[in-house]
Amino acid sequence: MNAMVEEIFATEEKDILQEVMNIAFGQASADLAEVIDIFVVLSVPNIQVIQGRDLPKYLLEEIHSSGLVNIIEQGFLGKFSGQALLIFPCGAEKVLLNLFNQGAEAVGGCDIDVDTLELETLMEVGNILIGACIGKIAELLQDIVTYDPPRLIAQDFSLEHPKCCPIDENSFAISIRTVFRFEQEDVEGYLFLITNQRSIEWLKKALYAFLESFE
Amino acid sequence: MVKSILIVDDSPVARMIMKKCLPESLGITIIEAKNGQEGVEKYQQHQPDLTFMDLTMPVMDGFTALSLIKAINPQAVVVVATADIQEKVLQRVEDLGALLTLKKPPSKQALADALKRAKEALAQVRS
Amino acid sequence: MIFDQIFETINSGLIVLDRDMKVCHWNRWMAMHAHIASEDIIGRSLFEFYPELNRPHFLRNCKAVLAFGHFCFFSQKLHKYLFPMAPVGSLVDHFEQMQQSCAMGPLRNEEGGIEKCYISVQDVTEVVLYQKKLVQLTMTDQLTGVYNRNFMESQLSKEIDRCQRYQHDLSLLMIDVDLFKTINDNYGHPCGDFALKTITRRITANIRKTDFLIRYGGDEFCCILTETSQQDAYIVAELLRKSIADTPFEFKDRIFSSTVSIGVAGLNSDDKHLECLLKKADEALYRAKQSGRNTVT
Ligand SMILES: [Mg+2]
Repeated sequence: MNAMVEEIFATEEKDILQEVMNIAFGQASADLAEVIDIFVVLSVPNIQVIQGRDLPKYLLEEIHSSGLVNIIEQGFLGKFSGQALLIFPCGAEKVLLNLFNQGAEAVGGCDIDVDTLELETLMEVGNILIGACIGKIAELLQDIVTYDPPRLIAQDFSLEHPKCCPIDENSFAISIRTVFRFEQEDVEGYLFLITNQRSIEWLKKALYAFLESFE
Repeated sequence: MVKSILIVDDSPVARMIMKKCLPESLGITIIEAKNGQEGVEKYQQHQPDLTFMDLTMPVMDGFTALSLIKAINPQAVVVVATADIQEKVLQRVEDLGALLTLKKPPSKQALADALKRAKEALAQVRS
Repeated sequence: MIFDQIFETINSGLIVLDRDMKVCHWNRWMAMHAHIASEDIIGRSLFEFYPELNRPHFLRNCKAVLAFGHFCFFSQKLHKYLFPMAPVGSLVDHFEQMQQSCAMGPLRNEEGGIEKCYISVQDVTEVVLYQKKLVQLTMTDQLTGVYNRNFMESQLSKEIDRCQRYQHDLSLLMIDVDLFKTINDNYGHPCGDFALKTITRRITANIRKTDFLIRYGGDEFCCILTETSQQDAYIVAELLRKSIADTPFEFKDRIFSSTVSIGVAGLNSDDKHLECLLKKADEALYRAKQSGRNTVT
């Protein structure tokens, strides 16, 4: 956790937040394995607080990929609200299509070109991954969240590009980052949950409520 | 009888929750360790009756710590506590010799059940 | 009361299913477009009426919703539709089936348990039609109706990458109308346009559906022949040349003839990009022009 985390969260709040995320992402792995029948490994979530204007730079540093990426964005709305950004290196969509090849037997589709198929599969898989993680956080914190449809906001995109994810420069974001890996395949993706100031007040209360539920 | 419990978890909150969920009975000594390596050291030092082991930890993960503790004492009673209860994870910890796996966050009931199982296992070892 | 009315009158399909995929609610929109009355389907399994939904992909999404409370979105681009229905009004002319954007989500009881799920169905046929038109506009040449350079640059480099990767044959013809300027000068621009249209028609008639014809510049065309070696491409080029040279053109009582010169290039393993191939074809075309036009090189 970085210095800004200390400013916003008391030590205890920070510790509870970390454990809630540990549990949420752990349970999400288990759910994902069951839904998609693939062994998924999610790394220990890393929590940071970042100034809006520093977010592009931060993403570039966190994703040790000099190559091009695809970015999927999905809004989530509850007491805990924000945007989920799912970042895959280019080429991952090909591997994912093979992993989830059932998508190919869609009812209406046979005249779909491979590029569309790959990117749409990427979005459907993205929705599953994002939903699993956020759903668990919401469940643990007694919130109910709804989602916008996932959108591909950047395709074959270079993170070196200065304006890569438009969030308000002056607001700050809690970034919860996890790296997930599909065991059989060498695909890695990054998930960032960017939430806003408004969610933080609620989050603090929910964290204490979570802890108190064990009394 | 379970007289001493070692809780190995990198998260202070997870250790706190575990303690809160343990039935309040006098005379149980609780020892804490914040990663796998510390867990193995404290196991060797205190030889607790029961060990709760987290899986994802820095320095040394729970899988490694579990196998090292089992190497020290093949009869060690270890309960793995994890949120990720995928089939493969369960299989792996069972193969390493864990008594059972507890889903995180634990409930009082689940912990009481785990303790009961641990007591049975200990009784068997001692008889 | 109010919610019941909204459920019935909203302009999208709404379905509520229980955990066994039995239909609990089926709104009027669904009844109207699917031609299945709610009293006929309620209480029965959705798969009785739509057996094609009973497949791993759909079931996986159901599981994600019912077991874990996820929300699922069925991409229109991927699925086209979930429930086969006729398109509304004149859209029938463009699509066989209504294009749908569908979503599925959990419905919880008071304790928060997931007892049911909903599916929403939105008619997006019109949007898909606009998208198609837009793509068509940016990818085709307005005069001749064949592809334009924009298409070639965005789509064909991918095609070439693919051929390189899987070592498939691919050839490129660079076609230039001989002395096109004199047609324009002698008979006027409408006649020049007519000549270009006729030439594209004759070329299209002699290539396969899997080949691409592109208007590259004013009187320059580019033809991509998939799965075709350089030798075979030469034969095709010769056929195209003759189809244009052998039959005179007729425009408003005027009869004239026109010829083309064609440069042929086949994809080699050392051609990394579209540009390399274009350069080779261009050089061949230059030689064709040098050797007196109406030739293939
Ligand atoms: Mg841990």
